[in-house]
Amino acid sequence: MTAPARSESEPALLEVRDLRVHFPITRGTVLRRTVGQVHAVDGISLELATAETLGLVGESGSGKTTLGRAVVGLVPPTSGTILFRGLALGAKGATAERPARAQLQMIFQDPIASLDPRWRVGASIAEPLRLNHIGTRAERLERVSDLLELVGLSPAHAGRYPHELSGGQRQRVGLARALALNPAVIVADEAVSALDVSIRAQVINLLQQLQDELKVSYLFIAHDLAVVRHLSDRVAVMYLGQIVEQAGAADLYGDPRHPYTVSLLSAVPVPDPSVEARRERIVLRGDPPNPASPPTGCRFHTRCWLRDRLGNPERCAVEEPAHQPVSAGHAAACHYIDEVPERIRLSAVGPTSEPAS
Amino acid sequence: MSVNGRASAAATDSVLSVRDLIVRFSSGRNVVHAVNGVNFDLEAGEAAGLVGESGSGKSVTSLAILRLLPRPAGKIVSGEIWLGDRDLVRLSDREMRRLRGREISLVPQDPMSGLNPVLTVGEQVVETIRAHEDIRRREARRRAAELLGTVGIPRPGDQLDRYPHQFSGGMRQRVLIAIALALRPTLLIADEPTTALDVTVQAQVLELLHELTAQRGTAILLISHDLGIMARMTRRIMVMYAGHVVESAPTADIFARPGHPYTVGLLRSIPRVADVGRPLTPIAGSPPEPDRLPPGCPFAPRCAWAVDDCWREMPPLAPAEGAGVPGGPRSGDHLLACHNPVAADEVEAGRPLLAGFRPAPPPEDGFIAQETT
Repeated sequence: MTAPARSESEPALLEVRDLRVHFPITRGTVLRRTVGQVHAVDGISLELATAETLGLVGESGSGKTTLGRAVVGLVPPTSGTILFRGLALGAKGATAERPARAQLQMIFQDPIASLDPRWRVGASIAEPLRLNHIGTRAERLERVSDLLELVGLSPAHAGRYPHELSGGQRQRVGLARALALNPAVIVADEAVSALDVSIRAQVINLLQQLQDELKVSYLFIAHDLAVVRHLSDRVAVMYLGQIVEQAGAADLYGDPRHPYTVSLLSAVPVPDPSVEARRERIVLRGDPPNPASPPTGCRFHTRCWLRDRLGNPERCAVEEPAHQPVSAGHAAACHYIDEVPERIRLSAVGPTSEPAS
Repeated sequence: MSVNGRASAAATDSVLSVRDLIVRFSSGRNVVHAVNGVNFDLEAGEAAGLVGESGSGKSVTSLAILRLLPRPAGKIVSGEIWLGDRDLVRLSDREMRRLRGREISLVPQDPMSGLNPVLTVGEQVVETIRAHEDIRRREARRRAAELLGTVGIPRPGDQLDRYPHQFSGGMRQRVLIAIALALRPTLLIADEPTTALDVTVQAQVLELLHELTAQRGTAILLISHDLGIMARMTRRIMVMYAGHVVESAPTADIFARPGHPYTVGLLRSIPRVADVGRPLTPIAGSPPEPDRLPPGCPFAPRCAWAVDDCWREMPPLAPAEGAGVPGGPRSGDHLLACHNPVAADEVEAGRPLLAGFRPAPPPEDGFIAQETT
């Protein structure tokens, strides 16, 4: 599960460069004025290769959803570029960009809210085809049948309404609709979070199977770190609009360097009582700060346990840390990436060796 | 822990004994069989977990214990709920009101709807205390500030006059824990108390719940679908499916030697943070509709271990006789409701290893949805 190799000359499938999305905070209804900015996404760069899954984790307010929406063009970026196969996508969906845009699709957390309750499922799945004037009516019907089978439903489901389906089935419909235009990239925003455990596993397996068959890439946004590890080749950790650490999944979970990543991993309850009993947990104090007024310097310094241990160096509060390379493909934005004690680093997700029973 | 002992719970040291609890909801012509004969005991100071997916009846069970089922749709049809020497099913509303908060309390899932948005946090804590204890407002306020301090709210004296919306989700959940523990109840029911919270805040809240209940000897019934939280917080787990407790065992045993095919399926459906590349084996199909439960075991249609009996009769929850499971035989307080429990080597394989075994198909004489009774 390493990042697929790519020759230097060939552009990445998807590349995001220094992307910023700021939302104005307004006061007043008649005399509406802007009193501040929420820096939801604040200088993010990342790449996604063909058939690769990049996991995006972070707490609420970290900007992961906004980043995903900006990538598919649902929110206009304030600055920065999004390149698809080397082609820059503008803020407004210009007609010339349509074919490229169609290659970027999204699935959402709540499949009931993302399907029109008055439309039969087949019509929802066919809509992207119709909007893009693809095929005749008969051809579209056939395509809908194929898509339903692809996601593990039967063609008969096309005639059903969303309320007649279970949560897992609705998520499969959402996936079928996203796949209608043969996209290269699917942004999945908490796509399995609302599903029950046994159904979630079915959809996770389906996502993996589709990737194997169709070579589609996923930008997989989720707060569940276990699901993200399971699905991702690489993982980026976000905190207050910025990526604080990025690495191959095995590196990030096995050898995290940013103190925030360490605390995030160590906070996840592990479904194994023997591990839970023996793990050393780092519990952060306080809540994530308001993204409208992020702390100066390193944004994590107000909650950082490592800074505490190091005697609260002034540098963290003043100087914004740059991404420092840890190893190939692994970088963390912290002034003290080598200071996280090895014992804590290597056991953040709990002891990995099986305990003798 | 005993299930067959029908004697009043006062004889044992159980705080709570639920016996053959049946809860139904009627909506129009449909009758939803939400809880179908649930039995369990909770000992003083014990932390137990109720695990299940949506619709399994875990939240309804907790609402029934609190006698807070939505009226008039939800109804305890039969069964007993012993809190000490009183059967809650038979108490009047007035008696229940006196008992809620003082002896059993609830930490709800959604901290925003658990608090009244138009009252300050202080008023809500003070109200809870004064509803049960005859003390002066000033004294109650002092106690409220002290409580908010205990749950880790900084500058508690100043926070009393703030409104819920001025608190973050994690802080609101702390306020609710403060209210729930204000009168030192013997039993705390926490229904998905951290589902709405971020993982770092979840860790804080779980730690707080654990510390406070351990310190005060409060028994806690934790309801969650998250097996990781269960592993961290509980000593015993009850697994619910379609309104039945299908397995009940010490937490370590549930993970090390699960016996019910559903429990095994759940454990094989969750990805682990420390796991590399282990494929997930989901349970086929989806849970039955609670208004159309199949006769027999409700898990039979999804079960790889199903035998003929499974289609006819729901087995009672009884001590598991499991020799040769990994890590030794199943312990005496490992209870299972299963005709054909999962054997040792099958836990890892996730399917029956008996040569030539095929799950029994539904009986020929018409597999029909059980008519509402």
